[in-house]
Amino acid sequence: MMLARFRPVFEYGLALLLLTIAWWYASGPMGIPKYLLPSPQSTVSTLWDSLVSGQLWPHLWFTLRNIFLGLAIGGVAGVAGAYLLYKMPRLSTYLDGPLVVFQTAPKIALAPLFVVWFGLGLTAKIVLIVSLVFFPVLMGALAGFRSIDSRMHDLAKLLKLSPLSLFWRIDLMAALPGIFVGLKIGAVQALVGAILAEWISGSDGLGYLMTFASATYKTSLLFGAVLLTSLLGIALHGLLGAIESRLLSWKVQDGR
Amino acid sequence: MITTSGLTKSFDLEGGSILALAPLDHRIEKGSFVSIVGPSGCGKSTFLRLIAGLEDASGGTVKLDTGSAKRPVGFVFQDAVLLPWKTVRDNIRFPLDTAGVRRDEGNRIVGELIDLVGLTGFEDALPKQLSGGMRQRAAIARALSDDPPILLMDEPFSAVDLLTRETLNDELLRIWQRTGKTILLVTHSVEEAAYLGSEVMVMSPRPGRLKKTYTVDLPHPRGEATKLDPAYHQLVAELRQDMRETE
Repeated sequence: MMLARFRPVFEYGLALLLLTIAWWYASGPMGIPKYLLPSPQSTVSTLWDSLVSGQLWPHLWFTLRNIFLGLAIGGVAGVAGAYLLYKMPRLSTYLDGPLVVFQTAPKIALAPLFVVWFGLGLTAKIVLIVSLVFFPVLMGALAGFRSIDSRMHDLAKLLKLSPLSLFWRIDLMAALPGIFVGLKIGAVQALVGAILAEWISGSDGLGYLMTFASATYKTSLLFGAVLLTSLLGIALHGLLGAIESRLLSWKVQDGR
Repeated sequence: MITTSGLTKSFDLEGGSILALAPLDHRIEKGSFVSIVGPSGCGKSTFLRLIAGLEDASGGTVKLDTGSAKRPVGFVFQDAVLLPWKTVRDNIRFPLDTAGVRRDEGNRIVGELIDLVGLTGFEDALPKQLSGGMRQRAAIARALSDDPPILLMDEPFSAVDLLTRETLNDELLRIWQRTGKTILLVTHSVEEAAYLGSEVMVMSPRPGRLKKTYTVDLPHPRGEATKLDPAYHQLVAELRQDMRETE
């Protein structure tokens, strides 16, 4: 039991270790120049220094806040949109086509357009992240709502539940597994969107730090920012996984 | 208690409509236990769902003489249909919570019901951790929790094994006698219908209609002795004959 629990940790750890050794070998013994590939030691120490000096925190906070804001707005809008489509089947037959177009349209390619429309400030960044989060959550939630056992609605009818009560007490709970599928995809997208939005404009965030570092040839800072972004992605995934396993503990394979 | 007059239901399909229930006039007395038997497609489930208000009638009326009860019927489905994210206790309490019953009052009622259906010790279990029979017990308790005068059961024991089924039948009789509710039970089994009912409605298909009604005079309380009673065997044989004629 214990072994099975730690197995993923062990596997991830081993992969990271191998990657780090390869990195160290390439930057050290192999002799790739520092400005192309800084060593792991210098990357970590640059990262550590900027963390201790407090220089990094505002950037990290800025990116994190945008991700959470975008996830929250996109998540709520996605669930609300899915419920609307679920409750109005006729609407969904009209909107299915356009939705597929919007869903498959490369939102990242639209990022410069969002800047034109919403300016260089926070709005354009949030709009980009929301547009990336919205569709996976919409699709996941819609699948969740559509798979609700119709007899649960018989029950709701017998109990004369109000529409609001039906949503909170039955539909939302029953669709939660689907919603989480969408949210987990959306979280990865949100991270990508947040970094990309910071590349395009502004002087805050991990994305900005990357463009700044590459423009000033601070390769170890660039590597540090990339490393931190990856860790952020892993942490985000882990956080959502933890929330999911807490909220969905009732839905494990054994029995119905 | 329950009066239907000219109650009928047809379903619209592509290229026409199908008569699921031909006009049905019937009266069910308060406190009776009515078994409804018939082959598939005889409209017995439709009849139950019409009484519950889960389907809208195509014609005719259902009158429930239940006074001011806000939720006049409790319904037990073929599967338990418990909310999988709620514990047994919270599932049974669900009708009370949604009716705004006070917490301590709800706890008291739920406690009594858990005793009544024999789920003591499983209050905090999730539906997935229970056997089919136990889930069905929880579903019965939930249907009883806000004390509806009428209990409708749509083949409630068809998914549990035979031994559990017989136990649940006896418990259902005990609950009926203790609570004095009007119970309508749809079943495929003529033995179950005869054993439980104070009245048996036999329905036949194409179109679904009421074929015959039996009043069952077998003495109460019923038990193993009932199953040896020649009158019981006579009734089962007649019901089986009726069923065969309807095929």
